[in-house]
Amino acid sequence: MIPENPDELHVLAGEYVLGVLDEAEASEIAGALASHSELRRAVMFWEEQLHPLAELAGPTTPPPGTWEAIEARIAGQALRAPAPGFWNNLALWRWSTAGLAAAAASLALWIAVAPAPGPSFVAVLRPPQQDQASWVAAADRSGLVVRAVSAAAAPNERVFELWAIVPGAARPRSLGVIPANGELKLSPLPPDLRDGVTLAISVEPLGGSPTQQPTGPVVFVGIVTAV
Amino acid sequence: MDRHATALSSVGVLIEAVGRGSQAALKRLYELESRRLYGIALRIVRRPEIAADVLQETFVQIWQNAAAFSAERGAGAAWLTGIVRFRSLDAVRKLGREVLTDDPALGDAALEPDIIDKIDAAAEAGALKRCFKLLDDQQRRCIVLAFVDGLSHSEITERIGVPLGTVKSWIRRGLLTLRRCLQS
Repeated sequence: MIPENPDELHVLAGEYVLGVLDEAEASEIAGALASHSELRRAVMFWEEQLHPLAELAGPTTPPPGTWEAIEARIAGQALRAPAPGFWNNLALWRWSTAGLAAAAASLALWIAVAPAPGPSFVAVLRPPQQDQASWVAAADRSGLVVRAVSAAAAPNERVFELWAIVPGAARPRSLGVIPANGELKLSPLPPDLRDGVTLAISVEPLGGSPTQQPTGPVVFVGIVTAV
Repeated sequence: MDRHATALSSVGVLIEAVGRGSQAALKRLYELESRRLYGIALRIVRRPEIAADVLQETFVQIWQNAAAFSAERGAGAAWLTGIVRFRSLDAVRKLGREVLTDDPALGDAALEPDIIDKIDAAAEAGALKRCFKLLDDQQRRCIVLAFVDGLSHSEITERIGVPLGTVKSWIRRGLLTLRRCLQS
């Protein structure tokens, strides 16, 4: 139960940010963050107000090789999601399962705690090296939907095929050919779809790639982000 | 690769550049913030190899989620602190505190008399420092044990040897006092 009384709400949010709640209590708050704007504001208030206290820990130099390890881990994820301004385009997100503003506000909290409402992901696909958002993908426990933002048509006698590239996996995996109406629905959620997976769309012969691997050019890419 | 990013120093600006896909900005962010963030992780998880893992996780999360950060424009440093703290607490939960430390001095820093002076004198800490002075010693100590050392209610109880209800009540009253002061 998230309290309505403002004092109680702030104490609970403060306890949450301090990290003193047990896992069940913390999960309940994490689950409520997306839909409860007062709670979200209270959590942000404490995060911003208390964070200078963390300076008491004192800076320490990390072990050598830490940056190189980070670099190696992000190497497979070099293709990026959209330009920041794009995230403010709320109209685009109206149909998504959770507002992206909520994701930004509570990101640090969502990362660590239990997946109370089930996984929820978004990705924006654009042509490599360009800012033009072309496709959006949204997924939750029930499945994945990929839609064209603007009218997108494959070249004559060709189709668009969607691929998932899981970090560390040897090769892309086909998620299917996108129908001509520009919308692909997959249910249930493909098992390896998670935060950090790259989605890519390639141009393929009618019926999809004959080789189980992209044969034509990759025309749109984006990274799946948990919200 | 964004060459200009290496010349930037503002954390918030750097996070936005990371959000646009600049690996150079991420590296600059690492140069600027890794000692601070590693210190926070180490204080909570106690073991250097675990703290290094936490720091890696933190920067991978920053890389993956920086684009979303730009939308709300919270304070960049606070965002980073939040990520590394929750990652650290997660590691403690998974591994168990007793696996991580048998250090009998755990949490003693929270007893130091000059703790208020140690709170960063940076401008952003000004209000916190002023308001922290309004708390009594026990409230202050519990809040530091929780936020800085990453102890839970029950761990604080064990640590300072008072009943659970007392610890909860000290933290609760401390938070209420802080909130009123910080909002005024």
